[in-house]
Amino acid sequence: MEQNENFASMPKGFSLDQAIAEAERCLLCHDAPCSTGCPAGTDPGTFIRKLRLKNITGAIRTIKENNILGGACGVLCPAARLCEQECCATEISRPIEIAKIQRCLIEHSWDRGLKLLSAPEKNGSQVAVVGSGPAGLSCAAELAKRGCQVTIFEAHSEPGGVIRYGVPSYRYDADFFAHELQEIKSLGVEIRCDAPIRGEGEAERLLQNGYAAVFLATGLWGAARLKPEVADVDGLLSSVEFLASLRDGQLEVLRDRIKGSTVAVIGGGSVAIDCAESAAKLGARDVYLVYRRSFTQMPAEKSEQIEALESGVHFLVLNQPVDFVINHHRKIEAIRLVRTRLAETSGNGRRTPETIPGTEWVLNADIVIEAIGNRAVTDSSRWYPNVQVDGQRLIQTDSSTCRTSVEGIFAGGDIVRGPGLVVEAVQDGKTAARGIMEYLAGKEV
Amino acid sequence: MANQPIDLSVDFCGVKFKNPFLLSSSPVSNSAEMVANAFEAGWSGVAFKTLNSDRVRIVHPSPRMNPYHYGSKRLVGLQNVEQISDRPLRDNLLDFLYLKKNYPDRIIISSIMGFSNDEWAYLAKASEDNGADMLELNFSCPHMTIEGSGHKVGQANHLIEKFTETVKKSVSIPVLAKMTPNITDMIEPALYAKQGGADAIAAINTVRGISQIGLDDWTARPKVAGIGAISGTSGPAVKPIGLRFIADLAKCEKLGLPLSGQGGIETWIDALEYILLGSSTVQVTTGIIHYGYRIVEEMIEGLSDYMAERDVERVADLVGKALPTLQETDKFDLNSQGIASYDLDRCVGCGQCLIVCNDSGGQALEWDSQTRRPRLIEDKCLSCMVCSFVCPVSGLITYKKQPSSWQRRETAVIGTELESELKLEPIKKMPGSLI
Repeated sequence: MEQNENFASMPKGFSLDQAIAEAERCLLCHDAPCSTGCPAGTDPGTFIRKLRLKNITGAIRTIKENNILGGACGVLCPAARLCEQECCATEISRPIEIAKIQRCLIEHSWDRGLKLLSAPEKNGSQVAVVGSGPAGLSCAAELAKRGCQVTIFEAHSEPGGVIRYGVPSYRYDADFFAHELQEIKSLGVEIRCDAPIRGEGEAERLLQNGYAAVFLATGLWGAARLKPEVADVDGLLSSVEFLASLRDGQLEVLRDRIKGSTVAVIGGGSVAIDCAESAAKLGARDVYLVYRRSFTQMPAEKSEQIEALESGVHFLVLNQPVDFVINHHRKIEAIRLVRTRLAETSGNGRRTPETIPGTEWVLNADIVIEAIGNRAVTDSSRWYPNVQVDGQRLIQTDSSTCRTSVEGIFAGGDIVRGPGLVVEAVQDGKTAARGIMEYLAGKEV
Repeated sequence: MANQPIDLSVDFCGVKFKNPFLLSSSPVSNSAEMVANAFEAGWSGVAFKTLNSDRVRIVHPSPRMNPYHYGSKRLVGLQNVEQISDRPLRDNLLDFLYLKKNYPDRIIISSIMGFSNDEWAYLAKASEDNGADMLELNFSCPHMTIEGSGHKVGQANHLIEKFTETVKKSVSIPVLAKMTPNITDMIEPALYAKQGGADAIAAINTVRGISQIGLDDWTARPKVAGIGAISGTSGPAVKPIGLRFIADLAKCEKLGLPLSGQGGIETWIDALEYILLGSSTVQVTTGIIHYGYRIVEEMIEGLSDYMAERDVERVADLVGKALPTLQETDKFDLNSQGIASYDLDRCVGCGQCLIVCNDSGGQALEWDSQTRRPRLIEDKCLSCMVCSFVCPVSGLITYKKQPSSWQRRETAVIGTELESELKLEPIKKMPGSLI
């Protein structure tokens, strides 16, 4: 497969001219349905109208005041099934490319050096945020805009969480993120990296260490495994490990390892697509995406599926992995697969796969990446022993305030909702910030 | 489709043109090299860029034009401080000879501008002697500042008459007077041109305007070494003004001269509108500056198909056909009333109709937020049709005539409880008034 030189950076977005031309297709709806389609309350109806009427600064202000990660959402959002799905222009031609307009406006604000957000005088409240992914950053920015002194504790050596260590650079690159991060820092948010809060009860102890409230947004850094008992096999890794290593200074090591090799990725979600496409771009000879259902049942976005197909990934649908073949050097050699067929539709509408007896076969692979689900880290509940979690170790909250079972501790993002979208994490951060402000106001009374 | 080639030829002042489409006198007709390309593309003639007699050297301001954009739509208008030809007279006349030799079936109209009787006569004679088929007297260059030149002539009726007369005495070829729109009434100067012997009127030259002010330097564009100026605006933005002046001239029986229409023509439809209002030929510059000479292909094909579909044999049969129904507004039959009619099966639910009806119409629409569709309250509809102007689906909203018994509801008064505070006497009969 062809090596892609542009692994490290995203494709260019719209130019301002393109964005303006696209905005001209907008029907400027009376009751803009696009503005009801965003989990984080983005209002494209308003920012596109502002752009159309040459109020470009106002358009950018509309985006940024609502969403501190407007750029990330513009790049990463599956807009085709959110705001753009609601677009009235669809009936005339095709939906307005809202996400691309949004990204363009955010980049334009950087080009022009616009500073549209500012933090008021400090109100004296200190809040700790654990995790600097989209939920943590969103919450921190919202709190800073309300006058809180916010400190983010980040376990990794760089901030960003899943948008830094969980997506390949060609989807969302470091330069772009650095700009978004700068805006958050300029609000006075302090980010401490290499600062894991992972001691026994350490997250809860933050409340005794001067922080009036804590927001837990630690994300999902564990991985579901086909054979949890199989460990330390050379060439067998989880999607979490694989994607993080691509962004963690090991890109060249991985490139050497992948180049010319056969890679099998197990899974059918967006993460599996990212892993497969990355392997293809890094020069694997063959990349197989192994999925037990069929093409249309894949949870990955349609556009991602097409992109992966076009990058040369072989879609091995209707195949269920059952075991790994590991040699005596504890190196992976192959996956054992069994063919499946789709049973009749069950209650939830998705047809379930059933294995076809006698169809077992072996797919040779030098590297196998399991992308079958992110999980909460196994011992994560030890960090906050009094916070109520469910059987999957997901934190239980009140969804309208993000309050947990422990007073003063709030939580949001993937560690609460399971694997979700960036835009959903952003909304959790906003909800939590509101919840925290109410909580702090209540404490003062 | 026009399966047989349609004869688009026109007779204009006794000169035969292959079709009514000409280049106007401007940067697009600056040299024979350019005009030859235009002729190859299909243009039937050219009003060559206004000749200079070499009495003064012409230097063009730099830069000399500025676009007027509308959103991402380019060049809905164009601003220019273009001067007359900056080439020596000899070069331009050599170009005439070249064009006449190589394109004998195409028409050269020599545009000239003088500052004195002698200069007008000199340029007219030189043009005729070197192959010009017609003359166009430039009484209308919009950014001349010297009295007795350019549009200053067009605003001084006696000069129009005098210079036209001088030219007519010097040559035997037909003479057009090109008029400025920077006046309130073009009929009067046109009559003076006729008085001086003009054979036809060309209109309009560019409209004095300002297309853009720089927001950083507070200077109008084009900015020439720090200075802006009011100058000529052209392009689609001025078409309504051009059509109006052509209609004025065409309606004037006393004038009765053939017309060469221009101002914002880009398509065969624009051209046909000028023709239907009385132009025998049409001239184009800004459309070419935007798209190139090739647009004449669409003009020829479009007009040919239109004529074939309607069995119109000659362009002359279309000239002035919109004039009989063009009347003063007091001729409107106010008993004829109608409303907007909605084909909601095609509605996409944007609700722009609702917004404009509320904010600029009769508040005659209700909105069903469930189905996201408008509903018309018929007796509140003003038939302003603004809703149809903004509707993104062509033909969804149309005008529907109502029976004569139909009554429109009067606009409601919102503050009736304030009646006791109203200060108003009935208007008194005024001497000489009709009421």
